[in-house]
Amino acid sequence: MSESTSEADLEAAETADDLQSYVESPIIMATVRVVSPFVFTYGLYLMFHGADSSGGGFQGGVVVATVMLMLGIAFGIDPLREWVGEATLVLVVAGGVAAFVAIGVGTVVAGGGFLDYSAYGIHHASKYGIEVVELFIGVIVAGTITGLFFAIDAGKDGGDNE
Amino acid sequence: MNLELPLIAFILATALATAVLRDVLAAIIAFATYSLGIAVVWVVLQAPDVGLTEAAVGAGVTTVLFLLTIAKTVRPSGDRVLERLDVPALGVTVLIVAVLATTLGALPEIGAADTTVITSDVTQYYLEHAYKEAGVKNAVTAVLAAYRGFDTLGEAVVVYSAGVGLLVVLGKEVFA
Repeated sequence: MSESTSEADLEAAETADDLQSYVESPIIMATVRVVSPFVFTYGLYLMFHGADSSGGGFQGGVVVATVMLMLGIAFGIDPLREWVGEATLVLVVAGGVAAFVAIGVGTVVAGGGFLDYSAYGIHHASKYGIEVVELFIGVIVAGTITGLFFAIDAGKDGGDNE
Repeated sequence: MNLELPLIAFILATALATAVLRDVLAAIIAFATYSLGIAVVWVVLQAPDVGLTEAAVGAGVTTVLFLLTIAKTVRPSGDRVLERLDVPALGVTVLIVAVLATTLGALPEIGAADTTVITSDVTQYYLEHAYKEAGVKNAVTAVLAAYRGFDTLGEAVVVYSAGVGLLVVLGKEVFA
């Protein structure tokens, strides 16, 4: 009886310890250092090249967000959050939506329909318009996923632990 | 080479493992491999855009978010590896699968040229005009960002709203 109780205590202590501690692993840190620039580039490639091959803003945004997830896992989420800054993510996401709407309204102002890129009258307006819009979609998605990551992690301290 | 049968066996095995494993961490890992299998299914079905999304979101991001979430949970005590069988739930699941399986016969072959999707006027219009009118080679992107740009704005706002909704629920102004 007493043995099982102490075991349960030990387990609870382990879980509480898991909550606080971030394990610094040189292997994970080195791997993330090497891999993350390539993943980031691949995310941008998906956003820009989505017009001519598979991919697009949504997929590219998720891949860019995984860079932030990797950095958080390797170097600790709290330092990463401080590095990013408190209000930055909210500004980035809101700015992405505002830019998307602005592009759409801009075509109406220029005399076309909503998001009718050819109204801008530049060479290959539609192609460049699509690529810019994909980029802003990527910004919105990457910002939101990183925000979800930070917000869920912030729940680990405080609140009830039962 | 016949890829379909081993693929389906892999997906069924990982789905079953997700359902019956008692340890939540093990179930999450099984679920990530299941998502990877589904991503390959999308590629087999010639939908690389969807496969890319499934691999990035299903196998990647949600796994990490799940892992963060279970940090607050406690491992179940005892040595049992598998969950006890829940007979009513199993019955309901088998019934749903049986109902869905009745539609299998109506599906066309993968890549069949005479399906209504291919022969439809809408599809043909986009395939013929997308490059001329939108200037991009990927017809999916042309429909997504040019022809249905307003819908895509809505989708982007849905993602934005998910973030805002989370902040409202948490009663915070920043993601921290």
